[in-house]
Amino acid sequence: MKILIADDSKVMRQIVLRTLRQAGFGHHDFVEAVDGADALDKVAAEAPDLVLSDWNMPNKTGIELLRDLRGGGSQVPFGFVTSEGSEEMRETAKTAGAMFLIAKPFTADHFSDELSGMLG
Amino acid sequence: MTSTSAPDNELVLAAIEQVWGSMLFATADPWPADQPADFGSGVQAQIELRGDWNGRLVLTCDSDVAAQIAGAMLGAGPEEVLPALDVHDAVGEVLNVVGGSVKGALEGVSALGLPGVTECTAPPAPGDCLVVSWRDAPVYVQVVPDAAA
Repeated sequence: MKILIADDSKVMRQIVLRTLRQAGFGHHDFVEAVDGADALDKVAAEAPDLVLSDWNMPNKTGIELLRDLRGGGSQVPFGFVTSEGSEEMRETAKTAGAMFLIAKPFTADHFSDELSGMLG
Repeated sequence: MTSTSAPDNELVLAAIEQVWGSMLFATADPWPADQPADFGSGVQAQIELRGDWNGRLVLTCDSDVAAQIAGAMLGAGPEEVLPALDVHDAVGEVLNVVGGSVKGALEGVSALGLPGVTECTAPPAPGDCLVVSWRDAPVYVQVVPDAAA
């Protein structure tokens, strides 16, 4: 499977990738996007099987990205990995079509819990 | 538990302890007030909170400390030299995660900004901030309401 990691922080993208490997998902293919607009382009160009996105990003936020994807007909599985994990944000994410929201700081267990059923 | 007032030191310290433990694999002990510390050139990250309470969190540390923090986040080897851009990115992301935790505990704070990172030449006065340890060096965290800007 191909996983798109969208975060404006290069360091955080690397940490997400490392944590996914620690969680046993390192054999998948990974693509990175530097913000929401870049992620929207890469969903179209790369056809990922899963999008993991930050919420607060320049150019296009994660929630704007998700709404654009759904508005454009894309049903790509989508999860947030973000520094904020309030109930309000979780509800907003769910309503927009996100599968889950993992709040930073996270551990490999958080990714295992959310992704094991999908990624195996 | 949530609060409508400005984030107090206890709340900020709890967020720092969580980030230090899970992202930096270190303990955030209080920095002893009487312990001197070197500070050559420094790195300062800021992030805004907007809502019923408006202000920003500011994290300041020595440049060597910033590089160590980035190295810990990325699992870099002790001799590995990271680009300044990555060091700034890492320090900003540390404050971003601290800010996210603080925002979640403050009722009525509706928006968290994007972190900005600059270089600086001096630490804030210890009396104006929370000082925690990173290994054998201090890290300074300030809660700055807009009115004090």
